[in-house]
Amino acid sequence: MAWYTGANLLTRAGVLVFMRFVIIGAGRVGLRTARVLRDEGHEVTLIERDESKIRRARTQEFSVVEGDGSREEILEAADVTNADALGALTGDLNVNFTACMIANHYGCRTIMRIDEAYREEIYREYADEVDEVIYPERLGAIGAKNALLGGTIRAIADIAPHLQVVELTITNGAPVNGYTISELQLPADATVLAFGKHDQPLGIPDEDLSLEDGDRLVVLADFDVLSEVRQLLVGESPGKAAANAGSDATSGTGGVN
Amino acid sequence: MVTAFVMIKANTGEADRLRDSIETIEGVQSAHIVAGDVDIIAKAQVETPAAVKNIAATQIQGIDGVENTQTYIAMD
Repeated sequence: MAWYTGANLLTRAGVLVFMRFVIIGAGRVGLRTARVLRDEGHEVTLIERDESKIRRARTQEFSVVEGDGSREEILEAADVTNADALGALTGDLNVNFTACMIANHYGCRTIMRIDEAYREEIYREYADEVDEVIYPERLGAIGAKNALLGGTIRAIADIAPHLQVVELTITNGAPVNGYTISELQLPADATVLAFGKHDQPLGIPDEDLSLEDGDRLVVLADFDVLSEVRQLLVGESPGKAAANAGSDATSGTGGVN
Repeated sequence: MVTAFVMIKANTGEADRLRDSIETIEGVQSAHIVAGDVDIIAKAQVETPAAVKNIAATQIQGIDGVENTQTYIAMD
């Protein structure tokens, strides 16, 4: 996995740098990704072969190249030569992988969508042409899980297979209820990133603030200590905390399988 | 001699274990982890069509982590 320096949104002077992206597939995943990138000011070109999807994207004023994104001339028509990154986001693995191979050759950072959870591991290990693998269903599952759990714990991001950022809401039954942030002792592999009093926005943690019912903490934690962190801050029984952390998951990729 | 290509779809991320197990099967000449909608392609060379069936249906499908297989017999 090569880090691509051009991916930094901020230059040293703090000036925003806008990037050029090519996205293959204007379906649910591709079109939504394009929209988010455009909203942030980036330039996006879509590649799509289905006529109704092309029409839909063009109605939303996207620039769309018609054709098969696994063909070099189509990628060239989308100006992959000058793109910072390519998102191969169709539902077809063969198209996605071939497009990544070509784009990688042009020096693009490459992101490939896969269709089944077990393939994440295989492509991360073997697909040298692919910088990052995306499994959209995993991200959907995070949202569904949070909604089902009912709010005291919210997974924000999987940083690495063993590292997760979570937002936790302190409850009255939490062991740390009434402590100040400086008194809070988390396991070694966990760090507080942000803190927000009940009803107030999150900010950089202030050591003197106290932890009370309804306050929120954003914590970066290794998966091994996540259930311990949850138990300390939310006050769940160890059994329930472990179940919520999904520590029985077999794929080793975090609690959102 | 019968040459056959077996497309293997897995249901596990342990692609190397599957490839190694497949390569130890007698008659299998090589197996590769591939990108796309199958995960491994194996090439077998055996005496009879029945032996191809034995390799694909019994041996490969008997490996834990193999979801299904599709076999193509070479005609040249």
